[in-house]
Amino acid sequence: MTVIETVPADSEDTRGSSLPRYLALKAGGSLISLALVVVLGFFMFRIMPGDPAINMTRGRQVSPGEVERLRKEMGLDQPLLVQFWRFVRDLFTGDLGTSYVYRRPVTELIGDYVGPTLLLTGTAALISVALGLWLGQKAAWRRGSWFDKIHTGVALVFWSVPTFWLGLLLLLIFGGGLGWFPTGGMSTAASTDTGVAHVLDVAHHLVLPVTTMVAVIYAQYLMVMRASVLEEMSADYLTTARAKGLREDLVRTRHAVPNALLPTVTLIFLTLGLLIAGTVTVETVFSWPGLGYLTYKGLSAPDFPLVQGTFVVFSAAVIIMNFIADLLYRVLDPRLKAS
Amino acid sequence: MITTSRSRLWRSLTGVATAALLSLAGATVSTPAHAADASKPIKVAMFNDVDTFNPFTAVLLQSTGINRYQYEALVGYGRNSEPDAGIADKWETSEDGKTWTFHIPGDRKWSDGKAITADDVAYTYTSIIETTALQAANGGLVTNIADVKATDPQTVVMTLKSAQAPNPGQEIPIVPKHIWDKEDAAKFAADKDVVGSGPFTITTFKTGQSVSLKANPNFWRGKPKVSGITYVAYKNSDAAVQALKSGEVDIADGLTPAQYDSLKGAKNITRHAGIGRRYQALAINPGAIDIDGKPMGDGNPALKDPIVRKAIFMAVDKKTLLDRVLQGLGDEGETEVPKSYANYFGFADGHEAVPFDLDAANKLLEDAGYKKGPDGIRKKEDGKPLRFRLMGRNTEPAHAQMADFLTSWFKDIGIGLDVSMVTPDKVNEDSTLGKYDLYFTGWSLGPDPDNQLAMNTCASRPNADGSGNTSENNWCSPEFDAAFKAQHAELDEAKRQELVKKAFSILYDAYVSDPIWYIKPLEAYRSDHFTGFGLQPEKGGVILNQNGYWGLYGAKPVSSDSSSDDGGLPGWVIPVGAIVVLAAIGGAVVASRRRSTGEDRE
Repeated sequence: MTVIETVPADSEDTRGSSLPRYLALKAGGSLISLALVVVLGFFMFRIMPGDPAINMTRGRQVSPGEVERLRKEMGLDQPLLVQFWRFVRDLFTGDLGTSYVYRRPVTELIGDYVGPTLLLTGTAALISVALGLWLGQKAAWRRGSWFDKIHTGVALVFWSVPTFWLGLLLLLIFGGGLGWFPTGGMSTAASTDTGVAHVLDVAHHLVLPVTTMVAVIYAQYLMVMRASVLEEMSADYLTTARAKGLREDLVRTRHAVPNALLPTVTLIFLTLGLLIAGTVTVETVFSWPGLGYLTYKGLSAPDFPLVQGTFVVFSAAVIIMNFIADLLYRVLDPRLKAS
Repeated sequence: MITTSRSRLWRSLTGVATAALLSLAGATVSTPAHAADASKPIKVAMFNDVDTFNPFTAVLLQSTGINRYQYEALVGYGRNSEPDAGIADKWETSEDGKTWTFHIPGDRKWSDGKAITADDVAYTYTSIIETTALQAANGGLVTNIADVKATDPQTVVMTLKSAQAPNPGQEIPIVPKHIWDKEDAAKFAADKDVVGSGPFTITTFKTGQSVSLKANPNFWRGKPKVSGITYVAYKNSDAAVQALKSGEVDIADGLTPAQYDSLKGAKNITRHAGIGRRYQALAINPGAIDIDGKPMGDGNPALKDPIVRKAIFMAVDKKTLLDRVLQGLGDEGETEVPKSYANYFGFADGHEAVPFDLDAANKLLEDAGYKKGPDGIRKKEDGKPLRFRLMGRNTEPAHAQMADFLTSWFKDIGIGLDVSMVTPDKVNEDSTLGKYDLYFTGWSLGPDPDNQLAMNTCASRPNADGSGNTSENNWCSPEFDAAFKAQHAELDEAKRQELVKKAFSILYDAYVSDPIWYIKPLEAYRSDHFTGFGLQPEKGGVILNQNGYWGLYGAKPVSSDSSSDDGGLPGWVIPVGAIVVLAAIGGAVVASRRRSTGEDRE
């Protein structure tokens, strides 16, 4: 009888089990998910229409022999299972293959593009989490007030707005119209700035894409935090705190909010992974040199090694963040350790 | 007390913050736009991807376009796409057309100052001919070359397997042997401090962001008047239009008609619609046949009848399509050679365009026995109704718009249309396999029409599974093949021009491909920054995306007197200002809270 059969990975029991066992089960579950992603990614992209060799030579004078040579070079002349075996074998050595279009190792390409994506999503996540949580707990505490109504309403409106539309609108007003912010890229092209000047230049370029991302995503943190604080508001320990003579602000920040944060932390980490995968639109609107746009270009070839590579990275980000969320939940909630 | 002091603090903080933000907003802040300055490069909006700058392996349009500025071929393209001096200034052909001799003058130098010699040319050509890995970009151009020899430092002799009219010295970028033979040529990135022979050479390449080139002081035509070119990557053209307005880029192409229209009257921006080198056509399946002569695909058999195909030609009002769909930003189509190539443009003597005439089309079909049924669709007594599928690309709004017009005109002559807009890949696959009745096709042509003609020869038909060659129209005509061969081997340019027109006219008269228009590429540039762009063709041509380097090579900065630098604050002022203001507010709030919690503790 295997461990997995006796103790389901997602059962509450695992949270109450010993830490090494809990870690092993969670890590095992993550690895299985990752393996499924690898298999799914490989075959899913093979179903897409379009022959990479034909597409790459379209519009040029090439002989059928050259197309065949290209196909052989890409390994596309081999049966699908052989291609899959090679992909998996190389994956274990950290080799994601060579991009058909860019003719460079996929790991190298991802290395070039992952930094800007992390900078963009990291900044946006940080601001939206801080903003969402702060507004959420305030709104809950003043439930039914104008503050609550306005912030909840505004957040939901932004949540419903298409990202590309909002991005283009900001670009039109603050980029081309007022000229306050750059219309694209991560830094001024051909700039020789270094040090602080370069950092300021990048910060300047970050403003519009980060604002777009924050506007669209902070609502989810606001709503969860609001609901979570509302649940805590009727708890007895808050009455005790008030009875001790604490001001309302302190009752909220020292007692209600820490407890309300528990379910929110899980949500934050669950969404962080998805954020990285969801940057395609913002990166395209603001010409941000990140992984999202690289994936989009890979799909149009189709550049199998590239899209498989980015798919694995995106999926791994979600799986790892889920794993961290599980761990953090256990660390943050002492009741789980004690049980 | 606490409440009173906190609210006072908030009021004052809000006042300070508002004043600070208003003063920042009120200040004239400029983005990194630059006024005319000889030391500043021209900034070009770049929409497409770069695969590599290695001229042996670069295939994407953006890379090969930039490489045109870096490397001369033996023979270049003149202002009207005619063969012009490149690394060689003269060339002769033997009487049998198989031996070409190129002369390299002594003044040709690489950007690092070393002399360009025949050895560099022989090295480049021989590398491609002998090394499979170096054939990715230009392998197809050397298949007819038997041998390339440097007979002395200034002379290259090229021996061909058979005579050909297209100049074998064109299109292949010549690389410096003294740099490349030290590298693994197939893997050499060649994207930093490049040594080249063209007007500009790459200094840096930031993946996915920008490509910087500097002027080559040793360029044989003379050093460019601008210091360099910087290509700035944009992932969408709307952003590039905004960048043009704000002065972040100096020139952009690939604009849509709506974007082009939006720039009308914009300050310091000049719009330019040059003559294009791409045709848009309606292709008709004449009964696709594979390379072995067997039928392929599922085209409607009625389209095998040239009368039906001619009637379709007669029901396409090109002028209306041009005016209504393209807002007049193009030229009416004739043969598959765009107007950009004046030498080969137009019909041969004795051939002419089929006029738009719905009455005549009706009569033609009626006389041929296609009678209208109760549903208004014609059919022969023993045949299927004339209801055809029309396929277009869902990425091109013009296709759907054209389909609407065609549906209406075709209905008037008793032909039904089932329109489907699908992905470009689907169009490519189905058209190769002959699985269509009608579809929108289009190609960009190089200066020599040989390749475009070759695509319509019998030998270009694909295998039954779609592999092998690519045929544009899945059509085969011995008469056309003979015309193709005649022009291919004709070394007299004037005679060849007539033969080329003849071949394209034969293709037109087969009613398998009806060129609708030649779209004008839409460009716009900052007229307060740069001027003097060299057009190709010289009269009304384009600035970017040329067959040569004339566009940006001719550019020069506008004199500083007439330029308009607003002298505003640098662009980073706003974010820095905002951060400072927010930090001040944050600090004050934290301080206030500490004081209040301190009071609580007390």
